[in-house]
Amino acid sequence: MSTTTAGGGPVTTEAEAAAAEQLRSAVARQFGRSLHIRTLDTGSCAACEQEIRMLAAPHYDLHRLGLFFTPAPRHADLLLVTGPMLRAFAAAARKTYEAMPGPKLVVATGACALGGVYQPDAFSYGSADQVLPVDVWIPGCPPSPLALLHGLLVAVGRLADKVSGLSFVAGASS
Amino acid sequence: MTAVRPHTSRRLPSVMAGAGRAGDPVAVTQLAETDLEAVTAELARHPGGRLADLFAADTDPVILRAVWALDLDQRYLIIETPVSGSRYPALSEIAPAAFAEECEIYEQFGIRPAGDKPLNRVATPPQADIELPRLGRAPAEPPADVHAPHVVGGHAFEFPFGPVRQVAVESLYYGLVTSGEELVDLYLFTWHKHRGVEWRAQGQTPQQALFHIERAEGLSAIGNGWAFAAAAEAALHIEPGAAAMSGRAAALELERLYNHAAAIAALCQACGLAVGRAAAEIALERFLRLNAVVFGHRYLFNVLAIGGIRTAPDLAALRAGLPAAYGELRRAADALLATNSFLDRLEATGIVTTEEAGRLGLVGLVARAAGVAADTRADHPSGPYSGLRPAVATQAAGDALARLRVMLAEAAESVRLLETLIGTGALGHGAGQPEESGTPRPGPAGRSGLGWAESPRGESLAWVQLDQSGRISRARLRPAAVRNWRGFDDACRSQNVFTDVPIIEASFWLTVAGTAR
Repeated sequence: MSTTTAGGGPVTTEAEAAAAEQLRSAVARQFGRSLHIRTLDTGSCAACEQEIRMLAAPHYDLHRLGLFFTPAPRHADLLLVTGPMLRAFAAAARKTYEAMPGPKLVVATGACALGGVYQPDAFSYGSADQVLPVDVWIPGCPPSPLALLHGLLVAVGRLADKVSGLSFVAGASS
Repeated sequence: MTAVRPHTSRRLPSVMAGAGRAGDPVAVTQLAETDLEAVTAELARHPGGRLADLFAADTDPVILRAVWALDLDQRYLIIETPVSGSRYPALSEIAPAAFAEECEIYEQFGIRPAGDKPLNRVATPPQADIELPRLGRAPAEPPADVHAPHVVGGHAFEFPFGPVRQVAVESLYYGLVTSGEELVDLYLFTWHKHRGVEWRAQGQTPQQALFHIERAEGLSAIGNGWAFAAAAEAALHIEPGAAAMSGRAAALELERLYNHAAAIAALCQACGLAVGRAAAEIALERFLRLNAVVFGHRYLFNVLAIGGIRTAPDLAALRAGLPAAYGELRRAADALLATNSFLDRLEATGIVTTEEAGRLGLVGLVARAAGVAADTRADHPSGPYSGLRPAVATQAAGDALARLRVMLAEAAESVRLLETLIGTGALGHGAGQPEESGTPRPGPAGRSGLGWAESPRGESLAWVQLDQSGRISRARLRPAAVRNWRGFDDACRSQNVFTDVPIIEASFWLTVAGTAR
């Protein structure tokens, strides 16, 4: 397997591609054991937050899957965004995202964040992707804990993809 | 400690003379600006009288509406006062509970109370590039970001915390004023969560508006939704059937049960008690699943309709699932009440005195834990509650432990009410015929109605005014959280340290969404 640039030259050699693939599975393994989640309420009705809290309850127990909550965006791999992205909150949302180290993921959570509850208007952007680069969408009003878990597991795969797309060769362009 | 309030007959305040028929649950009266102060003072002295809400409507002139709850007389009194100029008598000087509403009215309608008291920012963000639509005229000057003087021995400082704070909780900006560990003062800013729910309702039919009203505060979807539906029904002169009202009551008690279970789980989390939290969350998950099988939604969305209910409860599922879910809650509660390290942490934490609860117009379990036996299910019964006669649980201490005890007593009472509703066949066999067509109902412009319900956090109030075509010209929603956050500041200041704040917040069990709606 090799990838080519727009100019036709190879970006990764066979050996590098194999290394990236190794890394991909390593990251999947690695993040599968410690993916850290920061939540971000951009104007929710509090029901999504309650369902997110239920992820830690004995019925769902996301810790057994290697997923953890962190209060610090600087320790977070994944931003779980609820609410319709109110304009008055957008600056705080951007700062939270920027404080996270890469590679990072944004998961829009619930009907508000997906654009199904509030229209874009003077109060709100109407959906999370108007301000943040959303990778995974989880529908539901609010999404049940099982829907959240499914979305998070999809997100873990996406993060592994993101990491495998990075070049770890000094001087190489990607 | 429980109290069933007797229906007492007492002399009504003079303003009630000629205000509606005796026995009506809501009386409306008009009052000139010049009489407003004297009448407010009289009502504030009236036993069981409290200023439940203050809001403005219309623009030319602006009409100020004060909603007084006369709990011992089982009545609400709405006083309508046209305000011709840009100022009106300062009601918060007489009834301090009115201050936050005075600030809100200034932001939304541009009129302010007499005097030069600074009016705080409530819903408009300070960012210059964000201009939100208003319900009326813009104020002459922008509202102030007021911080009270806070110097203790020259060492106090303000520690900003939020709006992005702990994980899986709502955004809330705290200004914690501290001299190191003890909380000297505390400010809360919530403008970043204001979604303009009242503004959105304008021009919609009540049935359309219910969608956003339910989502104003998702954990009180039934409490707020019922208050709003009742207000619209009063304006439209619709009376839902008895089975539908019993269905609403069943949903409301289920909402109370899951909220109290969630609050107890949050209390354990705040105290670092992982086992207690897990036990309470097992009960909580059972209640949420019970909601889903009985009414079709874990948080009871889309159950209500204007004129009735949309989803008939599944009685067999309710009968089968309730004892097991409540059994889990009892199991957790019994263990917690035998855990001294947990109880010690709650005792004397976040004290609200009876005097503060009355002065700030607090409602719900926060007021009841401070010895104020107010509960709209008992004081202003609607639907099946006049027959059910719910017992009102109270405590005297006003601390987090008292609030926990009130929650547990209320959960037991909710189970009793649900069992009575099942046993008496009040829930019927179907949802009846709800008035759920979105088509507006024409009628005289200016029709209005008041509605209320006892949400898990306390009294929810709503007021709806319709235009000629049957669309909303002004909707007012006052969830219980609007009131009780005011008591939160005082509770945090009463000899508490930083680590007490999460415990106090869990014991109040409020939402930011409810106040910044």
